[in-house]
Parts: sequence; C-alpha cells; structure tokens
Amino acid sequence: MTATLTATGTTPAGTTPRGPRGLVWSVLRVHRTALVLWGLALTAATAGLIWMYVIADEARRAYLPCSEPVAADGYPSCSSLDAITADDYYSTGIALLTSALTFAIFPVAAWAGGALIGRELESGTALLAWTQSVSPVRWLAAKLAVPAVLLAAGTGALVLLNRWAQTDGNPNVVGDWYGPDVFVGIGPAAVGYVLAGLALGALAGLLVRRTLPAAGAGFASSLVLYLVLDHFRKDLWPKADRSQAGELELPRSAWQVDWNATWGRYPGEGTPRFTSATFHPRSHFWPLQLVETGILLAVAATATLAAFWLLRRRTP
Amino acid sequence: MTETAIEAAALGKRFGRRRKRALDGCAFQLPAGRICAVVGPNGAGKSTLLSLAAGLLHPSDGTITVLGQAPAAAREQVAYVAQDKPLHPQLTVADTLRFGRELNQRRWDDRVAERIVAEGDLDPDAKIRTLSGGQRTRVALALALGKRPELLLLDEPMADLDPLARHQLMATLMADAAERGTTVVMSSHVVAELEGACDHLLLLGAGRVRLAGPLDDLLAAHRLVTGRADAGLDPHTVVESRTTGRQLTALVRPEGPLDDTWQSTVPTLEELVLAHLRAPEAPALRLDSVPEAAV
Repeated sequence: MTATLTATGTTPAGTTPRGPRGLVWSVLRVHRTALVLWGLALTAATAGLIWMYVIADEARRAYLPCSEPVAADGYPSCSSLDAITADDYYSTGIALLTSALTFAIFPVAAWAGGALIGRELESGTALLAWTQSVSPVRWLAAKLAVPAVLLAAGTGALVLLNRWAQTDGNPNVVGDWYGPDVFVGIGPAAVGYVLAGLALGALAGLLVRRTLPAAGAGFASSLVLYLVLDHFRKDLWPKADRSQAGELELPRSAWQVDWNATWGRYPGEGTPRFTSATFHPRSHFWPLQLVETGILLAVAATATLAAFWLLRRRTP
Repeated sequence: MTETAIEAAALGKRFGRRRKRALDGCAFQLPAGRICAVVGPNGAGKSTLLSLAAGLLHPSDGTITVLGQAPAAAREQVAYVAQDKPLHPQLTVADTLRFGRELNQRRWDDRVAERIVAEGDLDPDAKIRTLSGGQRTRVALALALGKRPELLLLDEPMADLDPLARHQLMATLMADAAERGTTVVMSSHVVAELEGACDHLLLLGAGRVRLAGPLDDLLAAHRLVTGRADAGLDPHTVVESRTTGRQLTALVRPEGPLDDTWQSTVPTLEELVLAHLRAPEAPALRLDSVPEAAV
C-alpha cells in the first residue's frame, strides 16, 4: 500500500526531495489544522501522563493505613495523610486521560466524516484531486492510510504511557479495570476504537457527501458502536461461576456480572443458605480486550471496504 | 499522438431513475489538436459531458473514449477545470501549485504554472480563500496547464474574469495550446468569447448533439438569407425564420443553389448558435464523422 501511495516517478529538478511526497504530502497539507491539533493533544496528554507518573507514589501514600492519635506501631498520623493532595490530582488526572482515550472515537469519526471526506465531496476539491494523475481509489487509500497510521501510533503510545503512569493499577486510585470509562483506555481496544471511528466517519462522508450531515452521521454511527460494545462487553468472553453455601465474597479485582442468593424462611435476614455469582476475574482482562479489539478492527475493515466499494461504483 | 481526442457513441447519462437524461444518445468525434467550443443553453448537458470526459462520472449508456482510452485510464494526460473552480481554501497559492506538482509527478512543469500565476500579480503566499473569483480562476488554470495536458477540458472557464484578464488568459491558453498541440474543449454560453479562438463546434441542446464539426464547415453549410415573406424556401432546410412586416430573415442549410430572390450571407458563429438555440426543434447536423485527411 505504501509503495503506491508515495507515488514513484522521476523527481523533477528543483524540488525538495526530503519529506513526504505525493498524496501523503497532500493529505498532510490539506489537513494541517487537524494534524497540529492531534500533535497538541498528544503532547498535552504525554505531559499529563508523565506528571501523573511523577506524583504516583505520593498519591498512593494517601491510601496507607494511618492511626490517630499516632500510635507506637509506626503508622503515620491520619491528619498528615489528609494533607496530601496529590491523590486528588492523580485520580482525577488518570480518570480524565483514560476517559479521553475511551471517547476519542467520537471526534475522530466526526472529523473523518466532515472534514476528511464530506467537505471534499461537497466543495468539489475531491474532483480536483481525481483530475490530477491520481485515481479516486488511490486518493481514498491515502485519505484513510495517513490518518490511520497517525491515529494508531498516537493512541497506542498513549495507552502504553497510561499503563506506565498507573504503576501498580491500584483500583482505589485509578479505578477498577472493568469500569466503563477505564477498560478501553488501558488496552489495545483504544486503538481499535479510533480506527473504527475513522472508517465509519469516512463511510458516512462518502454516503452523505456533505460536511455537517456527514460529521453528524459519523458521530452517530460511532456512538451506536460504542454503546453496543459497552452493553455486550461482559458477554465477549465466557464468564466464571462460583457458588457455595452461605455467603460469598468476590475479590475486589473481579467484575461481578450476576449475583444470586437463596435465603431461608426470612429473605434478607441472617446469612443466605446458598450464594452464586457470575463474574470476570482479573485474568479475563486480556481476552476481553483482544476480542473487543478484534470486533473493532472487523468493523473498521468492513466500513473501509464499503467505502471503497461505494467510491468504485460511483467513479470510473 | 492519438488522432482522436474524444469520441462518443450513443452516450447517455441519467442522474437518478426518475429524472430526465442529462445526456441522451450523444455521438460525436473530436480530432486531436482542435480548440472545440461546447455551447448550449443551461441544462443542455455541457458540464455532464465534460465530467464524463474527465473520468469523473460513469456513462449510463454508450461509450466515451478519450485519447483512445477509457477516460479513467487517460487521467494523467487530461486536465479539467470544473465550473466552480474548486480549490482548497486553506492552502496558499504556492501550496496549491505544489499540490499539482505532487499529484502529477511525471508531467508537472513549474515554469508554466508559475508564469500564469505571476501574470495575474498573485502573491504566492496568499491563501486561496482571500482571492477573488477571477484570481481563483487563474490559479485553477495554472494548475490545469502546469500538468501539461494533451487534452484540456474547461467548463465555463472565463465566466468570472474581467474583460482584460479574460483576453489575456485566453491568449495565454491559445498560445500554449498552439505551441504544444493541446486539444482544448471549452464550454461557454458567452459565444462572443469563443469567436476567433475556436475551430471546432459542438452545440448541445436538451442532452443531444445539435451541431458538431469543424467550425468553418458548419458555417459554410449554413446561409443567412433575407427576402420577401411570401417567397418559398424549398427545398432548403430552414433552421429558423423570422418575419418582420413583409421581410423574412432565415437561417437555412441550402440543399442546392439559392434562388436569386434571396440575399444571402455566411452567418457568424453567434448567428449560427443563436438561431439553433431559438429553434430547438431544428434537425441536427454532424460534419465530424468524415475521416480527417488533414491530420
């Protein structure tokens, strides 16, 4: 793919041979504002995550056991731990950046539908490209490949930084791994989401062919995808069951999906006779992530194929 | 070089099932090296025809070949300037020319494009969105000519230029075309701006070819006649006739020597076109299917 994109051919004299060429240059130049914004967002998020890493230990100190008044057992005084503010910054910062990774699909899809494809078709600048020595199919390939590489690389790097800044992943500080705003931002699914958003947006742009409606359609389709996956996430991998007589307590790290207690004569009083729970243990994080990423990549591939099919049908 | 620039056979285009055809059964042949004017009333199918030739649309029926190939295969040799001159508004003039260079790496000529821009006193660092309509046209034409095309398709190219710029750009265009043997196809409804520049005519009406052929041959096939209203014009084909009092003025296609009672002159391009526009039911005339001996 890259071989056809960085168009080969003799370089005319007097041109700068350095830097991107051909369609890659044109995509980067035409969408320079988006490129700059993406660069700024990445820089800000990277700086934020590095700061989070720096204050991570301080934040965790606020969760140490304490005693009041200070006893001889060496625990710090509770008032001294209350004085620590780093945990507030840390928890808020990590939550904010993880949510940003989770919700990046929405601006990406709206941008892809509106600015990347819809506006070009509405204003006729797509025709301008197609009447140079570039076929519509190669044009769309470049339009999708360049942002896909930049989005995947940036999002992937942020996910790694986020996992690094979360250090031990203490759920009291960074939230539970299965939280709806947490799960996506700490695994490869984040990359899958932005790529699916890009493809859905591009397809919406080709279907609607107008800037604002296409941006809206891209946003709406990615919202549906997000809500569907959020709803069915727990079913993406076989759940674990545990049942026993009497009470049952699942560890903190388990994602409890279902819980049933059978009571004796007086429901709700005393201990239940029998308890059963359905849950995902912590070890299900990776299978769940990989299945969700696979689904997202399949959605992205399908939308991309549909976009190419639509373009091929419409243009010679 | 290919001898035929554009050849269309039974070419039709329909946008959507219910709408009427934008083009219907068009057949014509344009030899290479010609400057062809495509004229016709609004909605006659001029823009559709140019888009088909530029490889931007699929024909619904029939075929069109450009430089002996399918339009999509000839993309590299064809330049096209759309009616609304789409350009990226956020790019500077210099970046717009670089856009042309990057996307036409095998053909691009910086000097040609830069000369056209410089003739218009355009600042290379000015953003496209700050330019006037006429300046934008100039940049669009620079982009098209910088590609060094073998076939140049221009859809209403001069519509928003002032007379001076129009004259100057037309001269640049014609000099360039003459020097390199470029075939130029130009649509317009301002017939006056085509006179003297074109040597081939394609008149469209309601999606059909009304007149096609070398301009001189077409003009020679018609006579503008004046005479008494009660005189007969048989057996000549009358394209259009008007009576003022007892005098009749008509554009005819003589089918033999004209009667002495008629005063006759060869029509101008404008008279020929206007008469055909006023009489949409006049029969079509194609003089382009004869093999070109001169090429």
